Amino acid sequence: MPILEAKGLNKHFGGLTAVSQVDFHVDEGEILGLIGPNGAGKTTLFNLISGAIPMDSGTVIFKGTKISGLTPNKICRLGIGRSFQAAKNFAGMPVRQNVLMGALFGQKGQSYAQAAKITEEVLDFVGLAEQADKMVPDIPLAHQKRVEVARALATRPSLLLLDEMMAGLNPAEVDEAMALVTKIRQSGISIIMIEHVMKAIMNICDRIVVLHHGAKLAEGTPSEISASKAVIEVYLGEALS
Amino acid sequence: MIITTILNIVIGGLIMGGIYAIISMGLSIQYGVARILNVSHGEIIMFGALLTWALQSSGVHPMLALLIGCPAAFIVGFVLHRTIYKRLKDISPTQGAFEGNAMLVSFGIMYVLANIAMMIWGNQQKGYSFMAYAVNFAGTSIPVNRLFVLVIALIVSVLFYLFLTRSRLGKSIRAASQDATAAMMMGVKINRVAAICFGIGAVLAAIAGALISMIYQVNTTIGLGYTVIAIIVVVLGGMGSVPGSMLGGFILGFIGSAVSYKDPSLSMVAYYLIIMVLLLVKPKGLLGR
Repeated sequence: MPILEAKGLNKHFGGLTAVSQVDFHVDEGEILGLIGPNGAGKTTLFNLISGAIPMDSGTVIFKGTKISGLTPNKICRLGIGRSFQAAKNFAGMPVRQNVLMGALFGQKGQSYAQAAKITEEVLDFVGLAEQADKMVPDIPLAHQKRVEVARALATRPSLLLLDEMMAGLNPAEVDEAMALVTKIRQSGISIIMIEHVMKAIMNICDRIVVLHHGAKLAEGTPSEISASKAVIEVYLGEALS
Repeated sequence: MIITTILNIVIGGLIMGGIYAIISMGLSIQYGVARILNVSHGEIIMFGALLTWALQSSGVHPMLALLIGCPAAFIVGFVLHRTIYKRLKDISPTQGAFEGNAMLVSFGIMYVLANIAMMIWGNQQKGYSFMAYAVNFAGTSIPVNRLFVLVIALIVSVLFYLFLTRSRLGKSIRAASQDATAAMMMGVKINRVAAICFGIGAVLAAIAGALISMIYQVNTTIGLGYTVIAIIVVVLGGMGSVPGSMLGGFILGFIGSAVSYKDPSLSMVAYYLIIMVLLLVKPKGLLGR
């Protein structure tokens, strides 16, 4: 049963086609990997789903409701959380306040006490409890990325969009981040993740969608994708023959 | 003698600084969230001043005049955003285009407001006598109306700061000014928050106008001068930083007070000098990020 279904998504920026006729779905409880070369349209796709920019055409159905055309805050309140590639943390606030923002505004009619309680739970869940009083720019990159995730989790999503949460992390930090993503899924949240770290994509994703020049190039399980000739050509160039 | 001079400058600086701080916090919150450099800000200040004058000359206490002026200012700011600026944002292709267009529109609104005021009140100086007696302090006599204005300015600044840091709406305003996209993705209704900020900015302007009318003579052309001062203070304190605006307001107030003591006509020159030096040395302002 798909939690999210996208049909015929299109987005142009002037003459540039960023996303072209993309169809895909995410099943309940699934981790879907979204890969492709730089400029393939991955982040644009996230922007379309979350309502950050309007799409030219296409529909997105989330839990049976059409969400394409809704404002980002409505989409957030329906249950789609998002972390950003370039950390968009509130730099002027400590970690705890950042997470509190998600908890306060992510769902309708949240009391202050409830939001504060959720904030502490989320901080604990992602392992940031000890850093909670520090300002975001003062903590390591790996932790800043966790603040992004924590803030999205605090809005209590049922689908989480993770945009390159592992970029720039060292191998040990990547392992920790993979463990966190797995833990989020176990808590019942479906995930779409954009990632360039292949180790993470191949190990934790159930399915992978490959984008190239804004169009869907391939879709399948990690083993199918790693054996796909089309995908190998896009990433490594055509085989010499 | 020298002590008296210093005391006079300090008290003058606090009073000017308090008013500058309120004006600049208003401009800062409008730019920070709605991304509109509101050139018509000073005209709301002027309206606040003249409305207070008009009401008090028909027997209303100047502080009671605020009970009419503040809600009226909020409605004007809120409605301006909801109608003109929101629509402008929807049709502007990029954020940069919107900011440019919005500033031009605010110039237009400035002229409209200034001319409406001119039609109502003409261009005569207007003043009234309010708490016009002095207290003696350390050998200098201080007019009570100035102390009163200072106290109100400080109370308004502190209340505004507490509103931003403690209240739910204040938190959403801070989130929206630090990163509008991220705030939106976390459920903040960004357009509503921007309109409210525009209304709050106008309320602060109206309060400042009322305070100004209590200690200075006012007329329908004072608006632009205060807009310029507010812009200087906001740049000095750091774009979008409310504590920065408060600090910048008092710094500029002290400098203005000191320079005015020598020659009042030089204060504007001093302000521009400061801003030029600051832009070269610390382009992001004192508390800017």
